Amino acid sequence: MLLQNAIADALNNTEWAFPLAECVHIGGFAVGIGSIVLVDFRMLNLGLRHATAARILRYTEPWTLIALVFVVFSGAALFLSQTDIYLANLIFPLKMYALLAALIYNFTVHRKVATMENPPPVLSKLVAIVSLLLWVSTVFGGIFTGFLV
Amino acid sequence: MTIAHSIQSIDFLTAFSESVLAYPIVMSTHLACIALFGGMILMTNLRLLGLTFKSLTITEMVTSLRPWKRGGGIIMIVTGLLLATSEAEKYAPNPFFWTKMIILGLIGVHALIFRPIVYNQTEELDRSPVIPTKAKVAAILSLVLWTTMFTMGRLIAYWEPA
Repeated sequence: MLLQNAIADALNNTEWAFPLAECVHIGGFAVGIGSIVLVDFRMLNLGLRHATAARILRYTEPWTLIALVFVVFSGAALFLSQTDIYLANLIFPLKMYALLAALIYNFTVHRKVATMENPPPVLSKLVAIVSLLLWVSTVFGGIFTGFLV
Repeated sequence: MTIAHSIQSIDFLTAFSESVLAYPIVMSTHLACIALFGGMILMTNLRLLGLTFKSLTITEMVTSLRPWKRGGGIIMIVTGLLLATSEAEKYAPNPFFWTKMIILGLIGVHALIFRPIVYNQTEELDRSPVIPTKAKVAAILSLVLWTTMFTMGRLIAYWEPA
């Protein structure tokens, strides 16, 4: 509660803090989702074909993890600065479900199939498409939270 | 101001900015492109800096992602044009919007300078035992430009006429 008030004060009373947190949030998801997308594109056979999906995952994963930490922390700060507005919002919970699904999916099914030795191409493609849909839905949820109250 | 007013008064642009769904859908698409294609720009630049993807050639990194980055860029520009022109009166006096447009111009200049000597010379870069400075300069400038670009985009929403 105390923490929440401290963050809310900081973000609401400092002119630049809220937009700064938003920029960190956007930059973070560009890196976080963008790095996952590279694995998805490989699984769909759309790029970086000279490496396996597993290898691309190995290169991108540290970037994904660090970026997602920034996204989650900046997002939490934005949420805590105006909890009542977000809690009353009809879209916000949908965004959180999409995010939760995307995160769980990414570190279970997606990771498993991306690191498989010889996954059936259909499986790889399906898993990649679901991944893209989940992350794009989360981004859409974020914008719609700001528009449809 | 009058030019801005006449632009946003074009029938379909007025309808677009007043629609409950179309405007946020186009804005979400604009943002989703950052997520889908921003990572490609970032990872290509990190490769040029030698920070990741070391077992992939620079050639593979640049050429296999190029068509997707181009496609993404076109979607970004079309959706961005819709967002800006439909609210032209709000955007016209906004310094963050114009800063963003200047950055967009500088990204064009960056391409003009570095495409012939870096991005179209990837085989030469791959043959070089160390990544040449020109490639690293291109990568760092690209990262700075794109970071400023999305920051200015976000700040557009915060400016109010005095």
